[in-house]
Amino acid sequence: MTREAAIDKALDYYDDEDKGYYKDLADRVAVPTESQNPDRLSESYRYLHDFMTPAFDAMGYNCTVYDNPFDGFGPVLLATRIEDDDLPTLLGYGHGDVIRGQDGRWENDRDPWVLDFDGDRVYGRGTADNKGQHTVHMAAVRSVIETRGALGFNHKFIIEMGEENGSKGFKELVAAEKEDFAADVYFASDGPRVDMARPNLTLGCRGTRNFDLVLNLRSGGHHSGNWGGLLANPGVILNHAIATIVDARGKILVDGLRPPPISNSVRNALKDVVREGGDGAPDIDHDWGEPGLTPPEKVYAWNSFEVLAFTTGNPENPVNAVPPSARANCQLRYVVGTDGDRAPEIIAEHLKANGFDMISVEEPPAGNAGRFAAARTDPEHPWAGWMRAAAERTYGDRVAVLPNSGGSICNDVFQDVLGIPFVWMPLSYTGCNQHAPNEHILKPLTREGMRMVSGAYWDMGDADLGYRL
Amino acid sequence: MSRESAIDAALEWFDERGFLETLAERVAVPTESQNPERLPELARYLDEQMIPAFEAMGFETHVYPNPVAGGGPVLLAIRHEDDTRPTVLGYGHGDVIRGQEGRWAEGRDPWTLDRAGDKVYGRGTADNKAQHTLNMSALAQVLAARGSLGFNCKFMIETGEENGSAGLDKIIEGNLDAFAADAFIASDGPRVAPDRPTVFLGARGAKNFDLVVDLRDGGHHSGNWGGLLANPGIILGHALASIIGPTGQILVNELKPPPISNAIREALKDIVIDAGPDGPTIDVNWGEPGMTPAEKVYGWNSFEVLAFETGNPANPVNAVPPRARAHCQMRFVAGSDRDGFVPALRKHLDDHGFENVRIDPPPPGNAINFSATRTEPDHPWALWVADAISRTTGKPTAVLPSLGGSICNELFTDTLGLPSIWIPHSYAACSQHAPDEHILLSEFRDAMAIMTGLYWDLGEADLPMKAA
Repeated sequence: MTREAAIDKALDYYDDEDKGYYKDLADRVAVPTESQNPDRLSESYRYLHDFMTPAFDAMGYNCTVYDNPFDGFGPVLLATRIEDDDLPTLLGYGHGDVIRGQDGRWENDRDPWVLDFDGDRVYGRGTADNKGQHTVHMAAVRSVIETRGALGFNHKFIIEMGEENGSKGFKELVAAEKEDFAADVYFASDGPRVDMARPNLTLGCRGTRNFDLVLNLRSGGHHSGNWGGLLANPGVILNHAIATIVDARGKILVDGLRPPPISNSVRNALKDVVREGGDGAPDIDHDWGEPGLTPPEKVYAWNSFEVLAFTTGNPENPVNAVPPSARANCQLRYVVGTDGDRAPEIIAEHLKANGFDMISVEEPPAGNAGRFAAARTDPEHPWAGWMRAAAERTYGDRVAVLPNSGGSICNDVFQDVLGIPFVWMPLSYTGCNQHAPNEHILKPLTREGMRMVSGAYWDMGDADLGYRL
Repeated sequence: MSRESAIDAALEWFDERGFLETLAERVAVPTESQNPERLPELARYLDEQMIPAFEAMGFETHVYPNPVAGGGPVLLAIRHEDDTRPTVLGYGHGDVIRGQEGRWAEGRDPWTLDRAGDKVYGRGTADNKAQHTLNMSALAQVLAARGSLGFNCKFMIETGEENGSAGLDKIIEGNLDAFAADAFIASDGPRVAPDRPTVFLGARGAKNFDLVVDLRDGGHHSGNWGGLLANPGIILGHALASIIGPTGQILVNELKPPPISNAIREALKDIVIDAGPDGPTIDVNWGEPGMTPAEKVYGWNSFEVLAFETGNPANPVNAVPPRARAHCQMRFVAGSDRDGFVPALRKHLDDHGFENVRIDPPPPGNAINFSATRTEPDHPWALWVADAISRTTGKPTAVLPSLGGSICNELFTDTLGLPSIWIPHSYAACSQHAPDEHILLSEFRDAMAIMTGLYWDLGEADLPMKAA
């Protein structure tokens, strides 16, 4: 009964491609849990009832499925295993929903809902984000229970089904059921590690605020010959407006959308961070973004403004008409210190001040209503230090600590509602195409993740090593 | 029979719904030339709607297949009466833009003629089926009244105008004798105002092209990559903002025409653009500063972003999009350097740090490329036609040096060497390239009188001169 035995048991499961990890992952990827697609809501329930609940039940967890407080949005599963009221309670998390499958746009005609192996890569929608990652955690926990006979700590695990659609209702649900979700510390996996070559812990995330900029000048199109020069073109005006928000090299021009200066502690932590996306990752555009910052500073310590989509006219079948309207789906990603949730009001004021008051700022489409607060656990917090030590015991070398991730997740629920320190151990890599066609994971990183997550759970239940309040 | 009685008979026929019944049959043929699947409909339009009508008027007809693969056929109908009389070439196009089904108000079907008060809805009503149907009907009325036309008439119907008239140039160049005439008189486009009879003598040219920023293969998570990967939509938006100002003024000198001449400024002085009821409101602050609306659209160039797309607007995802495309258009008056536009834009983009903005050909479905043309306002045929119209209407005819829209006018002015005189029957707010295309019945009734009077006058002994 040793740490090594628990890790080996988890690896046996990982390596058994017929009955082990990839069999379970294939079954889970096959459930098309697209949370941005309202027609798929029943698939979210099926994922929890047919796949998650039986797996947690078998490990001695009590499972409760909560409906989302907002109609039409995904449910939340809480699996709870209380071993001893005197032991600390660890909260874990995964999300079972995925972004749209984008069927037909994958290379080699891959079906997003069928796991497909190609060398070290394993393709499928949700492999990286997040089915492959919570499947690792569930296996690691089981290995510890089977090896030790118990976890040695209390454990709660959340499976959310609406993360890719902005986690709508999740915060309200946890707030309403605070007792059920209460815990002392938080450990989970999502997203990519920053450097292919080295694991890292992540202590927070950028926030996200999506919104649309809309210019609706008239009800229909008008012949561009008869009217060209007489009717204002909404696509031209909206592009000019966006050009006053972000410059041609990606620098944000509106004060309220820019973060305060980067603190020394964050700047120092990021000195140790290398951005290495691995094969297939896009090339970083070094002349893009805030001038004078390093790539890690740009994405982990600074805000970014994106035009996610823009349409005017009829791009599929253009006609020779002055288009009547234009719409840009925009997004601000922001770090702690920016009041990013106010981005729509700030932009509206900016547009007005710059003569673009004909443009309205609207809430984003329900299918892509990303809205997350920025959050960060203090790098000096003891839980961050303990997790780092546990990770390094398995890895055998220094791991990097990221003050926050570039992406956004519901950390504010843990930070603001539950008030607990949170640490993430991402198991994917930045080239994983997680929000695009060709999403995949890498076998060596996933196997290493299985070792490190198992080691951390083992240590948490160890009478001497375990984190105690 | 007199001019007046011929016009009265024509109006009687018009009022007895003869016109609308004929038009309904023609609108029902979905002749979308931008849609390759509709190619058989283009031939069907000529075979079933045009040829029988011309043959009934004693025209000989000949259909020229299009030498460009996928292009629609061209009909030439000829009624030759007398070698000593002038020959007038008429024109219409039987094709239409896409129906845009499902986007029409009141659930209207674009292929079903629907009258609501003075408005008659249907794809191709304004552009161009009602216009050539009206002219053909006026010819029939003159024939019925006089027993002959009194002039020689050629009338061509092409079926590819909305897709750039591909192949038409080759057909005409290869058959110059067949298409030869003394003057070109035809109808398309809008009047300056619904109650202002109008003649226009040329057309703005049009050239479509795409601006493309294609940075990488796929989208990448905007959280993990936001700040590190250039956003093609933002770059392309900035590039466009360097070409056209926030109030529509063209910022690249080579895209502008030479200064407006005094003659043209004079011709446009009393032209007021009236969109008619329900027409769009002119944005007076848009376009070249200091110009009147008439100067902006009949005497100047305009740059449009017809369509722009980045990301997945129908279902946006949280990713930095890989590419952006703007489908753009130049409308330009005679004197502009059409062939210089793309090289000048390339240099402009490079000079402004937009080397990664590519200039691509437009999609084949919307690839118009027309020259700008102009017949001089004091040409004898222009003066004669304007007078003939005024004889019927009792009002001065508005004479526009150029139409805002673009047509294949260079084939008539340059290839055939004819004075080109257009008599538009529609009005600017007819939604002709959009859902809800329609005509005003009152305006077409007016046109019925104008065209019957004009064709009558063309057959009078003292009119007009046969070209030297």
